[in-house]
Amino acid sequence: METGYLRRPIPLAAIVLLALVVHGPLLTMQLPLTTSYDANLHIFFASHYAHHWFDPWNEKWFAGFSQTTYPPLGHQWIAIFSYIVGLREAYALVQLIAVVLLAIGVYRFSRLWVSERASSYAAAFSVFLGAVAFLVYSAGQLSTMLSAPLYLLALPYFYDWSRSADGKGLLKGLVLIWAAASVHHVTLIFGSVLFALPVVWLACIDRHEGRSVAAVLTRAIMFAVVAGIGVGVILLPYWIAIIRHPIEQIPIPHASRSNLLLNLNYLTNYFFVPYGALILALPFVIWIGSANRRLRPLLFGFWVAFLFGLGGTTPVPKWIFGRAFEILTFERFTLSAALLALPIVGLLAESLLDRYRAVAAVGLSAAAAATMAIAMGWLAWSPFHTLSGLNVDSVVEFLNRNGHDRYRYLTLGFGNALPKVSTYANANSVDGEYNSARLLPEMTHYGSAQLTSAKFFGTAGMESVRAMLKHANNYGLKYVFVHDPYYEPMLAFAGWRKIETYDSGTVTVWSKEDVPPARPIQSDAMPAPWEGLLWGTLPLGSSILAILLALLLPDRVRATERVVEFPAPAGERVYAREARG
Amino acid sequence: MKHFLPFLITIATVVLVLLGWVQSGVVARERMRSSRTPDEAARLLLSQVQARKWDFAHTLLANTGEVEKAAFVRDVAGSNGSLLTYASLEKFDVWPLHNNGREATVRVKLHYSTAVGPLDDVRDLQVEHQGETWRVRWPTTTIAKVAPQVIPVNYLRWDVINRNAEDDWGVQNVDSPQVRILSMNALQRPDRIVILGEIVNEDTIPAYINVGATLLRPDGSPIAQETSFDKISHVLLPKQVSPYRIDFPGIKLDQVKSVRMDAKAMLVPASADPVIEVNRQKLETDALGKKVLRGDLVNQSGQIVNIPHVLAAYYDANGKVIWVSDGYVDQELQPQIPVAFAVDVPDDVAPKVHNYHVVVNHYDINNAS
Repeated sequence: METGYLRRPIPLAAIVLLALVVHGPLLTMQLPLTTSYDANLHIFFASHYAHHWFDPWNEKWFAGFSQTTYPPLGHQWIAIFSYIVGLREAYALVQLIAVVLLAIGVYRFSRLWVSERASSYAAAFSVFLGAVAFLVYSAGQLSTMLSAPLYLLALPYFYDWSRSADGKGLLKGLVLIWAAASVHHVTLIFGSVLFALPVVWLACIDRHEGRSVAAVLTRAIMFAVVAGIGVGVILLPYWIAIIRHPIEQIPIPHASRSNLLLNLNYLTNYFFVPYGALILALPFVIWIGSANRRLRPLLFGFWVAFLFGLGGTTPVPKWIFGRAFEILTFERFTLSAALLALPIVGLLAESLLDRYRAVAAVGLSAAAAATMAIAMGWLAWSPFHTLSGLNVDSVVEFLNRNGHDRYRYLTLGFGNALPKVSTYANANSVDGEYNSARLLPEMTHYGSAQLTSAKFFGTAGMESVRAMLKHANNYGLKYVFVHDPYYEPMLAFAGWRKIETYDSGTVTVWSKEDVPPARPIQSDAMPAPWEGLLWGTLPLGSSILAILLALLLPDRVRATERVVEFPAPAGERVYAREARG
Repeated sequence: MKHFLPFLITIATVVLVLLGWVQSGVVARERMRSSRTPDEAARLLLSQVQARKWDFAHTLLANTGEVEKAAFVRDVAGSNGSLLTYASLEKFDVWPLHNNGREATVRVKLHYSTAVGPLDDVRDLQVEHQGETWRVRWPTTTIAKVAPQVIPVNYLRWDVINRNAEDDWGVQNVDSPQVRILSMNALQRPDRIVILGEIVNEDTIPAYINVGATLLRPDGSPIAQETSFDKISHVLLPKQVSPYRIDFPGIKLDQVKSVRMDAKAMLVPASADPVIEVNRQKLETDALGKKVLRGDLVNQSGQIVNIPHVLAAYYDANGKVIWVSDGYVDQELQPQIPVAFAVDVPDDVAPKVHNYHVVVNHYDINNAS
């Protein structure tokens, strides 16, 4: 039994506390709501569930769209917490839970590959991971951040079931997978390849003596089939929506798909910041991952995720995803790559601490802290600034008075402050920030994303705005809020007039007089009432079941395992193997 | 395996990155950085203009000493709130016209994305061979200046007092101004139906107008509804006439039984200032062989007009409106200084044109409401 602090695993409770201490204050300050791209979008979705739990048809965007086009669980939990603490605080709370769960998930996932001590280091590093800071505070990708830990938590059960037919593992693993899919299906789809295949490979390597690989694979396939059926049922309204209206719109450019080497800002944003000090460890990850047979599946998973995370820097994502390359964004793969590298990084940290003790502890801590500090600093230094902090109170106040909500509205130059307006205004908009739900031809026929950011998409964007303004009477589009004078000439020539000015002229309101009040736009995308019922019960049910199973069926305490010294002197060594009682 | 695998992964990664490097057009971009031919010289210059690297672009000119940087930037990026200041060069095409080894001419087509839609500009650039490279000789333009003078503004202006600040800008509680559609003509174009004509404000007060049209099937049900959008002068002073044009893309005339026209009018405040004079109008064939109506705009007022918009109606020998075209002018209108404009006329319409009438809309940064 080692007595020195640096030779013992960090207790999981301490890691959870660390996550709370590091991210708690930042989230209490509601930082993502003013610095990130998507936080307000998630609050907007949650706001709808808070008011219409069983009706996923949301008329506030795109003249009506179905929220069944986006898995609901994260938003539903925000909606539930919002009844107690309000929407903004509920978002921060759910995000904090995600960060804490991620540390636990990394710990449990790492335990499949490396020792308890190395796993504890991996979990501690996950708190400071640049990719985590980037996704939480810059991208605001709550769904990826919440679904990834649920998935990581499910994988050890998947391993147990595949390797040794552990029935409890099957049950808990399936429920966690369903919960993860209910938060974000995309993470699950790619996770299946990047995380699950290495775990199956590992289960084959670790199978009990006398057991065949075929038995392991059969159980893994059984798991996948049952999980797939469950996901199919729980997210049935999603599949119906996507089959009825496959995404056929013209691809929208995204910086993560570009060759990062051609633009230093993109390279910093999608490589240096998310990986941080992990970049220094990459050669060791490859070296150590190659040296041991048990770590090779993890290494391959990491490598593929790493290549995907580079976006258009290599042709691999284009080869693999085909047309989907133009729809996906690739920053999420950087998180996957980092998570897959962490167990090996934990092992490296273990070895450094054994050799250099306090010096290594200081160095590793500094590297971890610097990684997160740089990611947080990048929020200020980055040339890509969000408008999520824009004060939209006057816009909301205008829309909610004197019957202005009888008409639809459009914002121009509001960027990702649009969801903030939509959350609190009673009026509906023809625009929206969720590209996959757009069905109006004025938006899908052009290679542009939100109308509010049209100018950044050049001719395609401005033509899209023009098409929408041309059909203003059809949509009851009377009010246009402008936060960028660039859009004013088109409005003026098209017959709109400036009627009000807010915030010292930074926001102006334009209206057109001959527009009739908005009427509902008929759409075949409207989900049936039974779909709303399913949507309101099954995803949340999966998460409640997961919580109940965690409480009622606790895991057995894992016995201490054999750990080999680093670096492995020769031959194929085992870094960690589970010993079961 | 354990020694081989790290090298394999590293080499494979490097090879893939190199492949991505080539695929993303870096090689082609590097070629663009050279100027060994007139074509390449023009591309190099325009790529710098596209990136808004004015300093470097200016140093690439053959006549850097003759062209002030500010004038060069004004030429390609606009000034005084003109349309070019609301534009970014999205792409460009270059093709050679003439080359004698020492001097060459290349034609460039600049595709701008602007605040009012796409804008194309065709220019012929002179290129000179200097040492090992070619350089573009930028045309030296002298900005016309007028003598300091006082311009009395005595044009009519109509103000409207609303009941309260919460009222909408159009005055709803008075009789609408009398407007009348003077003519309406439905045309089948290759890819669309076009409804065009003229509308007049017959009243003694200014009117905000908007013209819409609904195409109806034989059973009376609507096929499509569109409005004139920016192909009309929305504010008409008393007795003023504006052409209008409404496009219905993707619809054939034989699907249509009738057209329901809808002219909305309401009283709005308005001013006759600024007056923009249209001079020297004539139908011509441009450098690309297309028919255009050219002319000059002269701003008679003392204030800058930031973005002028030309709207032209074309009449046949019987006085019937047979086409309406429009175009935005990329330069601002300085007081008293003529600025050229050109708007397209379809080749099949041009021979039938007997007369034309040009109306000028405008956008002023300081008076956008």
